[in-house]
Amino acid sequence: MNSRRTVHAYLLLIPGLGLILAFTGVVIGMAVSQSFGFLNFSGESAFSTRFWQSATADPQLWRAFWYSARISVISAVLAVALAYPLALWLRKPFPGSTLIGAVLKAPLLVHGLVAAFLFINFISFQGFLNLALVKLGIIARPMRLQNDPYGIGVVFLQVWKQMPFALLILTGAVQAIGEDILNAARDLGAAGLSRFRKIIVPLTLRSLQAALILIFIGAAGDFSFQVVAGPTSINSMAQFMLRAQTSGMDGWNVAAVVAVLLMLLSLFGAMILAGATQFFARVGRA
Amino acid sequence: MSVLSITDARIWFGSYEALKGISVSVEQGQLVTLLGPSGCGKTTLLKAIAGFIALDAGAITIDGADMTGVPPERRNTAMCFQSYALFPHLSVYENIAFGLRQKGTAKAELESRVRASAAQVSLEAQLQKLPSQLSGGQQQRVALARALAVRPGVILFDEPLSNLDARLRDQVRFEIRQLQKAHGFTAVYVTHDQAEALAMSDLVVVMNAGAIEQAGTPHDVYYRPVNRFVADFVGTANIMPVQVIGEDPTRDVYRVNSPLGELEIQSNEAPISDRIYAMWRPEDATAADHRDGTPNVFEFNVKAQSFLGNLTDLVVSPTGSDVSYRIQILGQTEIADGTRKSFHIDSRKVRFLKERVQ
Amino acid sequence: MAASSRVNRRIWINQLLFAVLLILGAVWLLIPFALAALWSLVDVNHPWAYPAMFPPVLSFTRWTEVWNTTALPQALVNSYTLAPCVAVLALILSLPTAYAFGRLDFPGKSAMQILTLLPLVLPGFVVAIFFSSLLIKLGIYSRFAGILIGHTIMFLPYAIRILSVSFALIRQDLIDAARDMGASPLSVFRTAYLPILRPGLLAAFIIVFIMSIEEFAISYVIGAPDFTTVPTILYSYLGYNFIRPNAAVVSLILVVPNVLLMLLVERFLASSNPASITGKG
Repeated sequence: MNSRRTVHAYLLLIPGLGLILAFTGVVIGMAVSQSFGFLNFSGESAFSTRFWQSATADPQLWRAFWYSARISVISAVLAVALAYPLALWLRKPFPGSTLIGAVLKAPLLVHGLVAAFLFINFISFQGFLNLALVKLGIIARPMRLQNDPYGIGVVFLQVWKQMPFALLILTGAVQAIGEDILNAARDLGAAGLSRFRKIIVPLTLRSLQAALILIFIGAAGDFSFQVVAGPTSINSMAQFMLRAQTSGMDGWNVAAVVAVLLMLLSLFGAMILAGATQFFARVGRA
Repeated sequence: MSVLSITDARIWFGSYEALKGISVSVEQGQLVTLLGPSGCGKTTLLKAIAGFIALDAGAITIDGADMTGVPPERRNTAMCFQSYALFPHLSVYENIAFGLRQKGTAKAELESRVRASAAQVSLEAQLQKLPSQLSGGQQQRVALARALAVRPGVILFDEPLSNLDARLRDQVRFEIRQLQKAHGFTAVYVTHDQAEALAMSDLVVVMNAGAIEQAGTPHDVYYRPVNRFVADFVGTANIMPVQVIGEDPTRDVYRVNSPLGELEIQSNEAPISDRIYAMWRPEDATAADHRDGTPNVFEFNVKAQSFLGNLTDLVVSPTGSDVSYRIQILGQTEIADGTRKSFHIDSRKVRFLKERVQ
Repeated sequence: MAASSRVNRRIWINQLLFAVLLILGAVWLLIPFALAALWSLVDVNHPWAYPAMFPPVLSFTRWTEVWNTTALPQALVNSYTLAPCVAVLALILSLPTAYAFGRLDFPGKSAMQILTLLPLVLPGFVVAIFFSSLLIKLGIYSRFAGILIGHTIMFLPYAIRILSVSFALIRQDLIDAARDMGASPLSVFRTAYLPILRPGLLAAFIIVFIMSIEEFAISYVIGAPDFTTVPTILYSYLGYNFIRPNAAVVSLILVVPNVLLMLLVERFLASSNPASITGKG
């Protein structure tokens, strides 16, 4: 009878989870196949590694790859590093804590493109920041802050948008630690930093990893922030992929290669981040 | 020499006065219980001793040092929490070792003290397990071992037995008391269970609404309660307003008018007023023959009874009155509900309370 | 009434941090939005150029011009027709799975629950591009249909997650009591299931709705250039055709309804924590 129930349960999963798995499988499958020359739109479909060879020989691709990797790691780490102390501060309610929580989480409601627009508006040549600095006499003429070559604008936008998300996850995790456990640690002689290293981090590790990984993956695949506020001399992976798709006969295939590389970056980057977090947590606990 | 000294402690939560000038002194090796109903301030006081709540007035001294401004991590106290508060990600060994690691205890000594503490609570075999793999009783013992390992000046217990089932409660209660006596550590124990308080304590501090009603040995608070609250909270009491109408000084006997009728009370302490409360315990009444003629024999209507195994609990009313009294007699009884029965109340067992009738 | 100096200091520190955050909040929220609002009100005939501190003339002319001359009305129609269809479809498809996750126990359940989150870790543009290539292969040329399918499947995890929680909250003893008293299956559903499901259904609907309105990658790749949605139109004003006031108008149109809708969701999911489920606060 048990197996009938199991079959029944899995049948129920088909319209929801089944569709998700089918869709995901197909998308990844198409990307992988097209990167190896199958399912071509133009010309014959035949197995070939030439797309991989030509794409990986292109230094622009690798510049985009490492740029995306760098930006997304920095954004994820910064967002989480800001969110953690805030989550700890907001752990116990105090007058005004709900208001602060709402203010901090507000960016979640703002669309990415809108955020990008607001940002470039703010820092543009005649934007608020420049005007204020000039009027205050700090600088003589407005500075060119937009589309800075290091991607600082993109990082700022990612952190602005994603820190509330990390805050959400971490607040839940931190509040799940019983008050008694923290009191017991204090009672046995552990002061602030000690409690953080030995109790809070180990007990919130999973959420910390989840936040880092999700933000990292989101930032690695970013297109909008990069196009609006990012450096003009270098592409993000998603931007490169879109450009590749529309250029030349092999466009789809090259884009497929970039797509697979982007997914691999997400996968391995996530694994490395998770491992590194685990390592540092263990070291910090000693 | 008193290890813990609380002097006129006061705490306000906003405009609510949670502690109204508490003074208690605890000697080395004593187990002192703070007993009272929820909201009486006993847990607040315990947390103030541990350092989690700061006093608004008054002082707490531990081993002669004033604890004002000293945070919990620097006080020489250790607490056993009601929820055990074991660190879920650490093994039993690491839980017990936590406080010692904080102090920077050397490796060899740390290991021997952890094992010794675990042995004290019979948990040597469980040292490598995680708290989630232990039963409630075992978790409680880990919490105790963790507190013992640091050898604090005072161990604080916050209703540690309330999450255990009845059987286990008795056993762990006994073990805690045994350990405390064997090692002579000083303990402050909070509970709302008066049986627990009576069974374990050297000193019982009965609290109500932020103030101390009475502090004394278990014997004192049970047999010599000072007022109605203590009489009723510690055990069951039959409380009556009485009027003193005469006395016989040679025999230390006072005659009083009570709702039951005329009553004799034998007391070597004079009542503090003519109109005063008196109390007697349910076990102090014995079945009697009315035709006897002895004083303190009254006839009651038996309204209901419960057979509790070793006792029978009777709810009775005196003839012509609706007021209920409780009487307990050993074993079973053949008295049927709705019938009348006479009981004798020993004059030495009726006590004057130190509370005037308003 | 005495409050010790320690309590005072704690209160003071909190107040300071509170003030700092409020100022920060103003800088990183209010001012940008105020600027956007300001820009949207710049009169068409009096551009706001450096070094003016404020726009010379404020009016709603910009709004009317954007409305009359751009594809914004069409984009709005597209977005707000697409979104409810996506939401309804996602709800229907997610119900069986949510029921299984919320009320049944079976081997492999936790693995299945994790797998449901797959769409969240796929890079949006990868999905967009290769889904569009799939559509081409399958010969599905309707842009509306393509985006509809794409959105629905991408947002299924959210609907499943919210409804699983709702299903799990339904009390078995209420179901048993209803059946015990002889209620028909429809009656059981109405008395025991529906009251708990209703807020979850509404919340899931609104969340998927909002996500569909805001979604950019799939709408852009599959929709451009014929089928515009509000985000793709905003993008067009941020790219080669940077007209700041137009972008400001579209930004406000994009953000304000969503904020209001999210506040509605908070009300519907009052008991559980909506933000932790949906990732929105």
